Formats: sequence, structure tokens, C-alpha cells
Amino acid sequence: MSERRPFHRQQARRWWAHKPYLAYTVRELSGVAVALYGAILLAGLICLWRGPEAYADFQRILRSDGAFAVHLVLLAAVLWHVVTWFQILPKTMPKLILGGRQVPQRQVTAIALLVAMVCSAALLVVVVAIGAMS
Amino acid sequence: MSDTTVSSNVPAKTVQLRVLRYRPASDREPAFVNYRVAYSDDMSVLQALQSIKDTQDGSLSFRWSCRMAVCGSCGMMINGEPKLACNTFVRDLAPNTVIIEPLQNFPIERDLVVTVGDFVKKIESIYPYIIPKAPKPIEDGAYLQTPAQMASYESFSDCINCMLCYAACPQFGVNPDFIGPGAMAMLQRYNGDSRDGGRQFRLDQIHGEDGVWSCTAVGICSEVCPKQVDPANAVNQNKTNSALDFFLHYLQPRSQP
Amino acid sequence: MRTTVLRPTVLHHPAPKRSIAPVFWLLFGAGGMLSALFGPALIILTGFMLPHGWGVPASFSDFPHVLAFVHHPIGKLLVLAVIALFFWHGAERLFLTLKDMRAGPLLVLRLLTYGVAALLTLVTIALLLAIGF
Repeated sequence: MSERRPFHRQQARRWWAHKPYLAYTVRELSGVAVALYGAILLAGLICLWRGPEAYADFQRILRSDGAFAVHLVLLAAVLWHVVTWFQILPKTMPKLILGGRQVPQRQVTAIALLVAMVCSAALLVVVVAIGAMS
Repeated sequence: MSDTTVSSNVPAKTVQLRVLRYRPASDREPAFVNYRVAYSDDMSVLQALQSIKDTQDGSLSFRWSCRMAVCGSCGMMINGEPKLACNTFVRDLAPNTVIIEPLQNFPIERDLVVTVGDFVKKIESIYPYIIPKAPKPIEDGAYLQTPAQMASYESFSDCINCMLCYAACPQFGVNPDFIGPGAMAMLQRYNGDSRDGGRQFRLDQIHGEDGVWSCTAVGICSEVCPKQVDPANAVNQNKTNSALDFFLHYLQPRSQP
Repeated sequence: MRTTVLRPTVLHHPAPKRSIAPVFWLLFGAGGMLSALFGPALIILTGFMLPHGWGVPASFSDFPHVLAFVHHPIGKLLVLAVIALFFWHGAERLFLTLKDMRAGPLLVLRLLTYGVAALLTLVTIALLLAIGF
């Protein structure tokens, strides 16, 4: 056999920014947004611990236009996280076999999304109900 | 009855194929070469390559066999996407130039031929055969399996080892030691088979950084698979198995194979 | 008549070293599921409804009410679960994204993501205890 000299091509440094991987990178960043929202909650907890004046400052900032916009962006990002999370969910489970046939993954995603909508709606309803009763 | 004359005054349709060539004995590195090929509407990219080899440049090297998408030999990058050349048609790509490169993430041996030895070793490492739960003499008859039991592993048995999923996987691109989607599909084909008793032996192979934990659920492997094997499912459901095993293996003494 | 017995022929492959990735993956999964089920509602609540008093009494978000919620042991657990798991979820995703981007040495990336998540989890626990019951 003539000389072998296998040639190694370098992986593109910015592969994550190009099709078809960009969608995956956006999905991952939507998960990071979850932590950013957690940071806002932690900031609130810190202000709560510091006392009524610090907490009042926190409330004031939360009522500002800037905070409103930030929360809109975070909500959009987290909604994208919700959708893509349940698209991955069936991949992490063994195939669901009902009646001798595989349940399509799209169906698993749809049912899970429904459950998520119910959970979030229920939380809102519960809080509003407690508020109405107090 | 009058004679009919058939004349072919219509010029043949042609398309340009831009192929990444590499001859280790004479080239320092790969370089593109352009070929103009006449094509018909039923011609596959594989047939276009064969026409180059037959009529223009006999040194062009590429793997192929069945030319009907069951052997897995002709995987290559066509316009930047991992595809089977026999299953990709010139009519869908012409009149634009068709860019043909060897499968991404693999070392190039020559032209469109890539090194596959590591992939074979990965397949071998996960015990790709039924390990019976107990010795079963022939006199006991055949294994019985319901359609539901077969459905649970069937898609993974459709894998033709074409390695398009490895070309699509960026984590394999970064880490060539990653066991990868194809080998995991093979693993799940056996772990999901009701006749098999070797589940733990195979799981023991994939608990490492180069096992399932290199995967970040990009999912493109399942999108490029020509046989709808869904290797992403094979890898990610075994993350759950590996995670459970991580915490529970302290409770079970186990014998080595 | 001799019976033929099929013996399994198994080649021994040494098992590779275990990764501790499962620990972070389970935390990531718990945070991901919690945020997928309740995240939108939580953001709507704490980002819009509570600050502006939309759909809930304006007093709900004032200092005494929120303090009472966080004083309660169940309130503490809920706050800890949400904050900590949301951080661990984001940490895993950020780590893997930075790793994809080859943003730095892996140890540095782990400290910046998992390290910060661990620190903030401890800070949250400390604050919840310091706020008292």
C-alpha cells in the first residue's frame, strides 16, 4: 500500500454560530436566562434581608420601565426554554410503546407542553385566589 | 407509414462538481478540483462521481457499494451537509455548483475516503451481539418476542453504520474519543432487546467523559440519519441510565464479564 | 442425545473511568423541569403582577407580607428550590456553551459556572437562615 498520511481538518472555531448549530446555541442560552431570573430573585432576597428601606428600593426598581423590559425579554427567553425543553424530553426517555406501536415524540412534547401550561396557569390562579380571599 | 427521426439537438445539461481532492503521496494538503458533468434528471451524486472517474479522472477515490442507501458506504459532505451520495440527486442541486467533501470530523485517507478504524473499535467495545440471560439450548425452541417488545428497539437496528451522525456531531468533532451516536444506537439496539441479558456490561462502557457525557443533546445526528434511527434518543436515554447507575451502583455488587 | 448449550462469548473490555457529570446533569434536569413547568408563571408574578398590583392586592408584595412568606419553613424551601435549581440549570448550560465556544481552560469555566452556582446556593441558604423564622 502506498504511504498513508491521514489529513486532519480543523473543526471550525465558530461552528456553534453557523447553521445548523445556531439553533442549538440559542436554545442553550435560553437556559442561561433561567439563571438570570434566579439572580433577580436572589437580589430581592438580599434586599429583604437588609431591611424595609433596601426592600423598598428593590420594589421601586422592579416597577421601573427598565425592569419591565428586562422581564419581557426574560419571559420570552424562558418561554423558548419551555418549548425546546419539551422537544428534548422524549429523547431522554426510552421509546413509549402503546398498543404495539411507538408513541410519536411530537405527541409526548405536545402533552408535556399542555402539562406545563396547566402548571403555570394553576400557580397564577392559586396566587390570585389567595389574594382575593385575604 | 412515415419515418420518425429522433434528433438530439438539445445540449446536455451540465453541472459543476467541486470536489475536495487529496492524494497523500503527492499532495501536502487537500485542494478543490472542479469537474463539469453532464447529468440527467435521475442521476445521483454518486453516479456523477462515477462518471468523473470513468471519463475524466480515474484517480478519483470514493467508497460505494449498494447504490440504494442500505450499505452505508457512500457518506460524504454535499454542499456542507452529511449525506449519502447515492441518495442525493443532482437535479435537486443543479444548476448551482455542487461542493463535495469527505465526511466531516474524520481524518482523510484519500480524496473522499475517510478513516473508519476508530468507529469500528467503538462498535466492538459495546458488545454488539445478544448476550443471553441464561444458556438456552436449541431444544428449548426460539425466543418469543411480541411486536411491542420489538418496537422498543427496532429503529436502532436499522442503522447502516454510514457515520453521517458522526459528521453532524460537533462534540465528536471536538473529541474524537467520544463514543458517538452510531455506537450508542448499536448499544441501545441490544440493551432494548428483550432477549438480551448484557445491559450492565454495555452500560459500564459509557459512564465516562468519552461515553454519553460528551453529548450535549445538539440533536443534529438524528436529523441527518438516512434511516430514522434516532441516535440522539439512544444517547440521551442512556444519560438517565448512567445517572441512576452513578448513585445506585454502590448498592449492587456486580461481577465483571 | 447430546444437548447443545449456547455459551455467551464475551470479550472483556476494561470499563472507562466514571465521570461525575451525572451530579451536575441531575441538578440541571431538576432546574430545567422546574423552570419549564413554573418559570413563565413565576416571571409573570414577580416581574409584572406583584410589582404593579395587577390581579393581586397591592399589599401582597410589601415588606411584611414577603417577610412572612420567607419566615415560613415551606416558604424558605420554595425560595431555595427555585433560586438554587435555576442557578444550577443555568450553570450547566453556560458551562457547556462556553466549552463549545472554547472560551477558556475547562477548570476556569467550571469555577465560573458551577463554582458560582455553588457559592450562590450557600449564600441563599445563609440569607434564608439569617432572615429567621
